[in-house]
Amino acid sequence: MTRKFDRRRLAQYGVVVLVAVTLNFLLPRLMPGNPLALIAGVDVGLLTTEQRAEIIADTGLDNPLWRQYVDYWGAIFTGDFGFSYRSGRPIVEMIRDRLPWTLLITGSSLAISALAGVVIGAFSAWRRGRPEDLGLLTGMISLESLPSFWLGMLLISLFSVQWGILPSFGAVTPASDLVGWEHLKDIIGHAVLPVATLTILSTPGVYLTMRYSMLETLGEDYIRTARAKGAGGRRVLFGHVARNAIAPVITVLAIRLGFAFGGTVIVEQVFSYPGLGRLVFEAVSGRDYPVMQAAFLVFTAAVLIANLVADLLYPWVDPRTRTS
Amino acid sequence: MVRTAHPALLEVENLSVRFVLPGSEVFAVNRVSFQVAPAETFAIVGESGSGKSVSMLSIMGLIASPPAQITGSIRLEGRELIGLGTRRLNRIRGRDMAMVFQEPMSSLNPVHKVGRQIGEGLRIHQGLSRRAARRRAVELLDRVGIPSAATRADSYPHEFSGGMRQRAMIAMALACEPKLLIADEPTTALDVTVQAQIVELIRELQKEYRLAVIWVTHDLGVVAEIADRVGVMYGGRMLESGSASRIYRSSRHPYTLGLLRSIPRLDQPTSTRLPEIPGVPLRVTEQLTGCPFEARCPMSAEGCDEQLPEPEPVGNGGHLSACLHHKEIGSAEALFPEGTLTSGRAGQSEPDNRPFISIRDLKVHFPVAGGPRRRKSAAIRALDGVTLEIRKGQTLGVVGESGCGKTTLGRALVALEVPTSGTIEINGRPIDPKSGPHRRTVQMVFQDPFSSMNPGMSIREVVAEPIRIHRLAPTREIPNRVAELMEQVGLPPENGDQYPHEFSGGQRQRIALARALAAAPEMVVCDEPVSALDVSVQAQVVNLLAEVQSATGLAIVFISHDLAVVRHIAHQVAVMYLGEIVEKGDRDALYDHPLHPYTKVLLAAVPIPETDPSRRGDRIILTGELPDPSDPPTGCRFHTRCPVAVDGLCNVAKPDLVEVEKGRWVSCHLVTGTGSEPTSVSA
Repeated sequence: MTRKFDRRRLAQYGVVVLVAVTLNFLLPRLMPGNPLALIAGVDVGLLTTEQRAEIIADTGLDNPLWRQYVDYWGAIFTGDFGFSYRSGRPIVEMIRDRLPWTLLITGSSLAISALAGVVIGAFSAWRRGRPEDLGLLTGMISLESLPSFWLGMLLISLFSVQWGILPSFGAVTPASDLVGWEHLKDIIGHAVLPVATLTILSTPGVYLTMRYSMLETLGEDYIRTARAKGAGGRRVLFGHVARNAIAPVITVLAIRLGFAFGGTVIVEQVFSYPGLGRLVFEAVSGRDYPVMQAAFLVFTAAVLIANLVADLLYPWVDPRTRTS
Repeated sequence: MVRTAHPALLEVENLSVRFVLPGSEVFAVNRVSFQVAPAETFAIVGESGSGKSVSMLSIMGLIASPPAQITGSIRLEGRELIGLGTRRLNRIRGRDMAMVFQEPMSSLNPVHKVGRQIGEGLRIHQGLSRRAARRRAVELLDRVGIPSAATRADSYPHEFSGGMRQRAMIAMALACEPKLLIADEPTTALDVTVQAQIVELIRELQKEYRLAVIWVTHDLGVVAEIADRVGVMYGGRMLESGSASRIYRSSRHPYTLGLLRSIPRLDQPTSTRLPEIPGVPLRVTEQLTGCPFEARCPMSAEGCDEQLPEPEPVGNGGHLSACLHHKEIGSAEALFPEGTLTSGRAGQSEPDNRPFISIRDLKVHFPVAGGPRRRKSAAIRALDGVTLEIRKGQTLGVVGESGCGKTTLGRALVALEVPTSGTIEINGRPIDPKSGPHRRTVQMVFQDPFSSMNPGMSIREVVAEPIRIHRLAPTREIPNRVAELMEQVGLPPENGDQYPHEFSGGQRQRIALARALAAAPEMVVCDEPVSALDVSVQAQVVNLLAEVQSATGLAIVFISHDLAVVRHIAHQVAVMYLGEIVEKGDRDALYDHPLHPYTKVLLAAVPIPETDPSRRGDRIILTGELPDPSDPPTGCRFHTRCPVAVDGLCNVAKPDLVEVEKGRWVSCHLVTGTGSEPTSVSA
């Protein structure tokens, strides 16, 4: 499969990475005001001239632009994103701490919403126009329009405050030295509400795509051919419709991953969940530009990887996209 | 031939299908009755909206109800199918009756291997294991003429050509050896050469399996070749039915007569103007209260719009006609006269021998993306060295199978394709796509009148656009000019405010022509302008083109796969094969006496609407399909399919296009003059 994967496609990904990194490099240098504040993350007014010169030399801002650009790439390859302006910690460490939590909740919510969206969407299309279809359709559209912070707060007020069955903040119970199975249970318990929020928000998109794609496929000539052969409902649905209908859903899922990452900024804040989204939120409120930039790169990389996976899955689902 | 006296295999009685949609109703089928005997071929002829496909889908239980309301009776071997539950129906369809559809491209599931799809019916009905089903699928593929069937069974549909896909569809339909095969326009999407192969295949299989076939088509030529009996449908009604020879020789319905009259035929002298059925096919949106054909019928008289004519026997022998006046029908010639062109035929009167467009050694190659690395220059040679001249006031017909490059030639003429090499000169100046006035001189009418017009523009805007672009009239005169153009193409100017979707296919093609004429061109390139249209409408558009030409002295390039239509309209004809011209010459000389083996084979593949085999001429069926245009055969490109190819010559040396007699060019080693043609191919 990988061998078949088009070189040209890989080159396209290369270009996207190049553009993303370049934008990330240029943005603080093009923004109005002193780039010093943006790159070194310092309140420039409070510095003496000597201190300023020192920092400039330190961060390489006195080098010509091309040199800075080359150094920037070097830093990315060595995983050196500089230091947080607020905490002074190496950014790469901060990301290493936060990323797993975000991957946990976005990954699980995406998997659940993919499964739920595909199954419910297929069912809905199969019952097109009947009450169950119309009910699901209405319900999903309503869910899609819910604001994420409101939904998160609703879940907290119900499950944590009202019934007290689930924790409302953090990823683990603080200062508890749980190990093994208990530790895992603790992690899952903390993840349930953020995952539920993200899942509820992203299922409608998958559902709507699957339902529409199913309806399209059901109208195809080859479905009529299958029926003319005497194929029964289940055979038509699983043997002929589902696989054809699922192809567009793969694309949507790859795009949704980007949304899911963006969604964590608010959801993790609502649940005080220590993931990358919360890091971004904190960085934005504290104008911690170096951290924001690094997080932006991680998000970009994640979306690119998701697209790459979708591209690799496509030929497996649809033989027409295999290059001979 | 089997008589209907045998117990019928299929009996359809008073079948009606009505679609109830929000805000509208369509009466697709209206009390249609017919029977099909075992091993018999019953052909149903009709245009779009006639209800022929809906009737067939109803037999197979493939019409969703609701929204459709299906009434009447459909009995297969005495068993009622209407009202049968899906589960029971599933035990019958695919096993006792099977269907082959029009579009082999879209009727196969793209994500499953062909072998698996053929075997599916066997797994459903005979409970075969996956392996046994596959083994049988390979046998079936082999039987329908797919080479190296065992490997091809593992191919996906997109790896098959159109003809092969239709063969695979037939294999799929026959898998469980049904008693009834319904073929809905099975050859319409295919080239004439491939069509001949498929027709032959179904006939063979029919004998072998003692299969009853219902063949639905609009092509009266194919019907004449295959049918024992024929039914003619229009507006959801069966207007006439009877034995094929009765329908073709002594039809007693004006509509049938009109259809037979309006198609150009290879076996009859060309006329100046095709007889035409006026008006457009009917879409029945309210309960019929009179004869559906009444509005277009030349015999329409008192009473025709007051009662629905029922099929009445004409003589004995099962011939039925649903016409109140079937006893008074005169000759077809009197009913649908040929008519004459208003100002005689241009080009015939005074041939202008100066070439208006000359094409020299034109090549258009399309690079193949991701082609094999060893041939870095892999390209589809859509046009590979074409030399042609087009004269003012004349029509050049371009014929050939799909993939032969005829559409690319048309697009190159209007500068939509950039030549790889070679030149196109208009009035002695090389074509310049950047020059507006230059572009204006050559206009195009496309095949699909539905998608080649901006749906958001009114007809008036569509026709006015070229006038505005080329500043051909001051703004305040544009409305008058548009009205004139609409009148010229036979559309009432007061319809100008309507949008494209409000017109029928034939009307839209008229609009497309008006738009082309609006640019005041010297030449119009028509790419398959009538092949998307109903039979009864084709004649109208062909006549219109001839009329416009005689009035304006326009040069026309008429690209078509339909050799009979080209014969009717063209003065000069060029035959193309794999990007090259293999023969060109005057229309009559070329059709009466084809020289190149490919031309002969093409002409022989055209079905003649004539039930008497002795009047149809010999059939040469071209084997195989068009080779890959990115890797054309060595020597003569046609040698791989040529019935008279000489080994050691044709596969080695490439023949030149030489003038074998005045105005007649042929590229074949075996043709050096009219006297020395290859003798073993005689069509």
